[in-house]
Amino acid sequence: MIPQIYELGDSALTIEFGNEICEELHEEVIKRFYQFQSEPLPGTLDLIPAYASLTIVFDLGQVASRFQGLSGMKTLIEEKLAQPFTSPVLEGRLHEIPCDYSGPDLATVASACGLTEKEVIAIHSEKIYTVFFLGFLPGFAYMGTTDERITVPRKDQPASIQAGDIGLAGNQTGIYPSESPGGWQIIGRTAQIPHFKAGDRVRFIPVSV
Amino acid sequence: MKLIKKGLLDSWQSLPIYGLQHEGIPPGGAMDTFSLQLANALVGNDVYDKALEMHFPAGVYQFEKSTLIAICGADFTACIDNVEVPMNQPIKVPTGAIISCKKPVSGGRVYMAIKTLKDEQVSRVKIMPWSMGPEDAPNQDPIRILCGREWDHLKACSQQLILSKDFAISATSNRMGYQLVQEPLKTVSTATMLSSAVTAGTIQLLPSGQLVILMAAHQTTGGYPRIGHVISADLPRLAQLGPGDRLHFTLTDAVTAEYEWILQQNYLQQVRNVCSLKLDQHRINHR
Repeated sequence: MIPQIYELGDSALTIEFGNEICEELHEEVIKRFYQFQSEPLPGTLDLIPAYASLTIVFDLGQVASRFQGLSGMKTLIEEKLAQPFTSPVLEGRLHEIPCDYSGPDLATVASACGLTEKEVIAIHSEKIYTVFFLGFLPGFAYMGTTDERITVPRKDQPASIQAGDIGLAGNQTGIYPSESPGGWQIIGRTAQIPHFKAGDRVRFIPVSV
Repeated sequence: MKLIKKGLLDSWQSLPIYGLQHEGIPPGGAMDTFSLQLANALVGNDVYDKALEMHFPAGVYQFEKSTLIAICGADFTACIDNVEVPMNQPIKVPTGAIISCKKPVSGGRVYMAIKTLKDEQVSRVKIMPWSMGPEDAPNQDPIRILCGREWDHLKACSQQLILSKDFAISATSNRMGYQLVQEPLKTVSTATMLSSAVTAGTIQLLPSGQLVILMAAHQTTGGYPRIGHVISADLPRLAQLGPGDRLHFTLTDAVTAEYEWILQQNYLQQVRNVCSLKLDQHRINHR
């Protein structure tokens, strides 16, 4: 699929590689993230990877006065995407995170999925997840994809969540880095919140406290 | 400066700080970056310096050193030792003077830039004989927007509504975003979207059919349809509106957005140049 480039307001462009959460698309996002980081376009202020897109935020003044605005930058991006990126892509680190599976929503998740609590724990901890991107809160990593047997919707009303709480939402899992209201189903908690980068891998190790 | 009485929401703010959004850390910064830069220029501060952003009721502060200040943005009837002082004009204040804001007249956020006068002991309040910046209260022109990626998700009647009706800013609005109140908007598709990056000025459509405009303290990513984007040049004017105020939108294009931004940046650069010259002429060390 040919990536689509669209304007996100007057000072940012988003490169959309697809419209689903999957590891192949995400690998392309991370590869291009490193490409635009190592060979930045003029006026780049920020690079924001997401599930299947990469957004480049520009200094509008610089881009408008010297590069015919965003339309000029679009051309430069297309040229860069046409080049194969050969620089070594940094291999994501594997984080092994001890998880105390005693979250307040574990029972709810188990009954919603027609599983026992033990089965939910086994399914959640058997897979190695990809950190898709960081967002929502500083350091909040969106990870996935979870096994479809433990896919659960968000809560209707956000609840108060503690730092270190581990939650599920759709086919994603994540760790709250700080106290916050949130709609994810909390199945466990950890005292160890690493400094994640997009592209890292994560495995949860069940521990009992 | 010593805090005498706490304001509703006072904070030191600079221009947004970019470069960490891939870590989930938003650029943040002042809501009205135009007034921030104007205030900093008037006292000869660096463009990246912080100024005090205050809402009404604003805090009361006492100066502990001879200081050059400038007040820009909202008109809250700023007073030094209970005597009203002009906006958009540098003012020398002596040690012990107290600044307070008496009554909101216009705008939602005031910016006070400060510069300690190292070579001078000021004995009384002195208003410097030059002023810069807008002479009138912010105008009521429509807020100019660009179409967002999901503009077409709206039914034609809802698109029409956005461009013809007034929107009220709800009481729950804050530095993160403005919630707007209107009759619920209708969509043609209910396709779910993947979360991706958002920016200050992004207008999102909530599941309730209401709009929210992301402001300075927005999160880095979002998953709601992006109906439009307020152009960068109009964000300072939008930042001077607050809960209860009304606004209307008009569509513009990328060329206009870029032109208006350049115009604003050039104006600020001229202000910085003139202020620098004036401060030199009055032998105020601002280097």
